[in-house]
Formats: sequence, C-alpha cells, structure tokens
Amino acid sequence: MKNRGLAFKLVALILSGTAAVFLTAFSYYYRCSEKSVMANVEKNTRNLAHSTVHEIETVLMGVEKPARNFATLLSMGRQETDDVARYTECISSSNPEIFGTAISFEPYAMDRQSYYFLDYCYREADGRLARTRLGSDSYDYFTLDWYQIPKVLDRATWSEPYFDEGGGNIMMATFSVPFYREMDGTREFQGIICVDISLLWLKNIVSALKVYQTGHAFLISRNGTFITHPYSSLIMGHTVFSVAEGSGDDSLRRIGQDMIRGGEGLVALEGNPLSRARAWMYYAPMSSTGWSLAIVIPEDELYSDIRRLGRQVILIGLGGLLLMSVLIVVIANRITKPLRSLACSTVDIARGNLDTELPGIRTGDEIGRLTASFASMRVALKEYITNLTETTAAKEKYESELKIARSIQMSFLPKRFPPIAEKGNFEIFARLEPAREIGGDLYDFSLLDDDHIFFAVGDVSDKGIPAALFMAVVKTLMKGIAEAGMEPSEILKKTNVELCRDNDSMMFVTVFCGVLDLKTGSLRYSNAGHDPPIIIRRDRGTEWLAVPDGLVLGAMEESDYETKEIELRPGDKILVYTDGVTEAMSPGKELYSEVRLMEAVKSSSSDSAEKLTLEIMDAVVEFASGAPQSDDITVLALTFGSPKGPLVAQ
Amino acid sequence: MEIERYKQDRFCVIQVKGRMDAVSAPEFETACAKCMEQGDTAFVVDLAGLEYISSAGLRAMLVVAKKLKSNNGSISFCSLTPTVERVFSISGFRSMFSVHDSLTKALANS
Repeated sequence: MKNRGLAFKLVALILSGTAAVFLTAFSYYYRCSEKSVMANVEKNTRNLAHSTVHEIETVLMGVEKPARNFATLLSMGRQETDDVARYTECISSSNPEIFGTAISFEPYAMDRQSYYFLDYCYREADGRLARTRLGSDSYDYFTLDWYQIPKVLDRATWSEPYFDEGGGNIMMATFSVPFYREMDGTREFQGIICVDISLLWLKNIVSALKVYQTGHAFLISRNGTFITHPYSSLIMGHTVFSVAEGSGDDSLRRIGQDMIRGGEGLVALEGNPLSRARAWMYYAPMSSTGWSLAIVIPEDELYSDIRRLGRQVILIGLGGLLLMSVLIVVIANRITKPLRSLACSTVDIARGNLDTELPGIRTGDEIGRLTASFASMRVALKEYITNLTETTAAKEKYESELKIARSIQMSFLPKRFPPIAEKGNFEIFARLEPAREIGGDLYDFSLLDDDHIFFAVGDVSDKGIPAALFMAVVKTLMKGIAEAGMEPSEILKKTNVELCRDNDSMMFVTVFCGVLDLKTGSLRYSNAGHDPPIIIRRDRGTEWLAVPDGLVLGAMEESDYETKEIELRPGDKILVYTDGVTEAMSPGKELYSEVRLMEAVKSSSSDSAEKLTLEIMDAVVEFASGAPQSDDITVLALTFGSPKGPLVAQ
Repeated sequence: MEIERYKQDRFCVIQVKGRMDAVSAPEFETACAKCMEQGDTAFVVDLAGLEYISSAGLRAMLVVAKKLKSNNGSISFCSLTPTVERVFSISGFRSMFSVHDSLTKALANS
C-alpha cells in the first residue's frame, strides 16, 4: 500500500519536526532554569556561609579579645603572682565556653626563682573554677606546640583542634597570645597566654545550619582535618585530602587545597563519600583561625523542583505529540484515502480497462480536481480509441476493397500476349503501373479479324477511383465500337459521342489507337490528345510518329478526328506510352522527358516487343529511383512481323 | 499555386502562377466560381506564370469552360509557357479554346 507510505511520511516528518522544535525549546528552558537556580543557590549559600562564619568568629573573638587585652596588660610591667592568678580567673570566667586559661612565663621571667611558671585556671565538671600551677620536668611546657608556635611565629595563633583526653574527650582548640616586655628599647618575649575552649558549641552551630532539606555543612582546619561533619567518623580522624585520595578524586584534592589556602567559591562535587550523590559546595574561609567552612547541597534537591517540572512538561509534550500523531494520521489518511482509491482505479485504466469507474470525489480540493480531470481524460481516451478503431477498421476495409478493385481492373487489361510463335506476323507486349492501387491509364488490343489487329493506349484525366471507373467505361466502349473495317478516327468519334453524354464530371481521356494490317503492314491510326508514339524501323532509324490533331475524348460532343497511315516493314515496331513515362520525376525534381525516352529507345538493343517494353519501364523506374510515382505509367510495343523474320511481307 | 483575380474592362482576369495539378486544380475552379457569382461572364485566364499543368488541371479548365458556355459566357487563355503550350496542343485544347499570345491581345479580341 503505497499511500501508507505517504501517510507515514507525513506523520514522521511533522512529528520529528515538532519534536525537534519542542526539544530545543525545552532544553533551552531547562538550561536557563538550571542557571537561575544555581545563581540563586550561590547567593543563598554565600550569605549563609558568611553569616555562619561571622557567628563563629564572633564567639572566637570573644575568646581572643580578653586574651589579647591581658597580653597587652602583661606587657606593661612586672606582675605579681596574685595578679596573674586573677587574670586567668578573669578570662576563664568571662566565657562559659572557655575551658581553661593558662598564663605561662619564660624561664625566670615571672619569678627569679621559678624556672617554670604556669598559672592555670580551669572549669571543673560541675562548672566551678579551679586553679593549679603547672610546670615541671614531666611537664616541660616550653617545648609544647601551644608555647613554641606563637613564640616562633611572633603572633597570636589558634591551634589545631584536638581531643582533650584529660577533660572527657571533648574537642578543643587553644588560642595562644605571646606577650612581651619593653626592655632597653627592645621587645623581649616574656610568655604565652593561652585559652582553651571546647568546640562543642561550634559543632552545634554548624550542625544547626539549615541547609535546604538535605544539605549539610562542615568545617575543616588549617590542615584540612574535619572539625565537624555530619559523618562523625570523619571528625578529627580524616582530612579532606585523605578522603580525596581514598576515592581517587583529584578535583576534591584541589578544592581542599584552595579551601585551606583561604579560597572561597561554589564548586561541583561528583559523587564521593563526602556527599554520595552529585552536589554543590560553597566554601568560605575563617580568617581568624585559618579554618574553612563548607556548605554542601545535593544537586538533586537543588534541581528537584525544576526536574519535576521538567518531567511534567516532557510528559505533557509527549502526550501532545501523541495526540498530534493521531490527528496527523487521521488527516493524512483522509487526504490519501481518495488518492489511494484513485491510484487503484488508474492502475486498472492504465492496463487498458477504460471502463473502470473512478471513485466519486466530492471535495473541492486538488484531489477532487485531479479525479475530475482523470474522469474526463478517461472518457476522451475512450472516445478517441473508439474513433480510432472505427477509422482503422474502415480504412482496412477500404484498402482491402481497393485491392479487390485493382485485381478487377488489372483483369480488364489483356494479360495474355500472344507469343510470336502462334501467328508469326506480329508481336505485342504492354505493361501498366498505376500510381496508386488503381489507375486511370488503359491499354487494349484485339484481333478485329484474321488480318487486322486493333490496339489502343489511353490516359484518363486525374488518378484514383474516379479515373479507374472512367477507364473501365472507355475501354469497354472502344471495344464494343471497334469493328473490322472501321477507321480509327471513326472509332474515336463514336466513342467520344458516347462519353460526352452524361459526363457531368467533365472527365476526359486521351487516346491513341490504331489498326495494323497484318498482311500489308499498313498501320492506320488516329489520336485524341495523346502523346505521339515512337516508330522504330529495323534498319532505317527511330523517329516520332506524326499524329493528327484531335481533342481529348469526352470534352466536346462535336469533336472530329482524322486517320493517318504509314507503312510498316517486318521487324518495325511502334512504341506507345502515356505521359507517366515522360513526366516521371527524379528525386532531384527532373522530368524524364521525351528526349530521354527517345534516347533510351534509340540506344536499346532489345529486339522483341517484350524486352523493349520492360527495358523502358525499368529505365523510368530507375530514373525515378525512389521518388513517389506521380502518374500511371503505361508502355505498349507492337512489332510487325517477327523481329528476325523475313524482311518482305507475306 | 497562386491565383489572383481582378477586373479589367468587362473581363474578369484570372492570373495563374505555379503548378496546376490534382491538388491545386480545385482552387482554380473556386476562383472562377467567385467571379461567376459576381456576374462576370467574360473570362481571360493569364497563364504567364503557369509552369506545369496536369490532366486534372485541364479538366478543371474544361469544367469552367462548359459552365461558362451554358451561361452564354466566354473564356480565353493567354501567355502560355512552352510546356503548357505543348500540353494544350497535344490534348487538342488549343484548337478547342481560344488562345492568345498576350493579355493585351486576349482583351482586345474577346
């Protein structure tokens, strides 16, 4: 079913076009939504990160400030032991988060007798403050990190978070501030104030962050160690780098490096232990401690809304496409159905079955017009073929009738030329070639009695059926009129009178006729408008015969004719022809003409009438060489006596 | 074949040029019929341009001549070319019709 293909093509084309447009629009929309969501997310998480960092740093500031203040105080002058003790108490009590404060001095810096001096005020389990003095060989604080690092760095530092074994395994960090004393213009390092704070509150702040529904936040230290994380197993035990290495994630390692460098920004995280699914992370530095805060949001949640909406839109689109395809199929079928039925009918018609009915289409569109055209074409074709068949049949019938007419006409003409052997006193031969199936030329001969032979050659005006009919009439008349003893002129006269009667068509015929006396060789002849024949004398040359004037037969009833006479010797010939010979045209539009005819006769070596006749006929045919024959061609030759016989008449 | 007709004095002059054969002969008859419709009875046929005439052409002339004769009209021919002259001679038409050497003579004589 070819038109299933047409409907199918329509559906396929339209659907794919629509689908393409829809998909393009949709992906553009989706991409724009994603971008706008990300922009929003970036803004929100940046704000959140900053505010959280601020919150944390405020607390830390609360620790740093008093420590720094007292460091300045200590730098101002020598202190008493009691003062120092007061200071530590003061600091420790100022902030509930402070676990303990210690002021430690360089050797002999506090007290000339004391190598070690460390006053430590701390909170007990019940919350009350306690004090102690530390520093001994077993506790050589000068080598400890919290003492060394700020001393060497010459500035206040925050330590890395650590677990305090002594204090119930709480995560802590220590803020150490070095203090100095001006002595003789130089600043001399005197000692460290360090404050321990627990980081529980930090954990609380960070875990309390409302990061969308499924997001979380974490904090890493200067070394990348997790300070807080929803996965408590990671806390303190792992760094962001160990995690990155563990999962072979190079991008995470680079992100980690940027974080501890103090970088800030929004990055994408592929699925890794940190967040399992693809997520987005905003990280911001905490400048005071060198830590970094990261806020992580799973991408699913970020995009969940637009994804859901997107799915819905796609579903709607698909539904719409489906609906459209149904519509298109219906429409395509509606269009192609008439085409299909038309195609079926036309296949039949093409096979030749012109009676096949075309489907009735009433739509006014192109298909309706096509069907209408086809219908009228079919009718016209049918008519045409019928006409053609009739005409061809008629033509064939006509042609077959013509063939019959020709054979009738040819049988008119005497075909039996008595061979010379029979009588020995004459020889006659004739040939007639009509221009069409039937013609208007005639020849005739008959023995009027034992010693006289009558012969005639005629040419009816025109050609074809009218000429043929007239030819039959003329021949029959002449034969009936000719009698022994009658002069040729009389034969012509009488024939003419009969012909002129009832000759409305004004047909006329030229005739040359003669009577040869077979004993004496005397030839009496008359002419009615016919071309002069040629006399061929055996030993005395060839010449035109002088013919008497005479009007064509059938023109005027009163026409008169004249008889002339010549003597023929044995072997002499007379050659009679019609103007079909002299007026035969070559392809080069040349006429055969009397000149050529005379030449052909003169140069002929044929001795018998038959040979001569055929030779002339052939010469004319060769001359015409393929050009259509324009007129009937007739040649008749009559020899007196035998060509080779005795020269003297019997 | 080309045929032109024009009136000269009381004659209808018919000029024939080209070849008259079975195909073109009817044109000659038609042209003569037109003149006869106009009431002319004296015809002069100028054959100065006629190169060839077949028996069909002769027949057409015979038909016209017969018609004119029955209406008491007359027809003459002039300025025959040698080929046509010969045909007229042999067929005897030359003796039957009045034939002149030139148009002037034909107009003067009829």
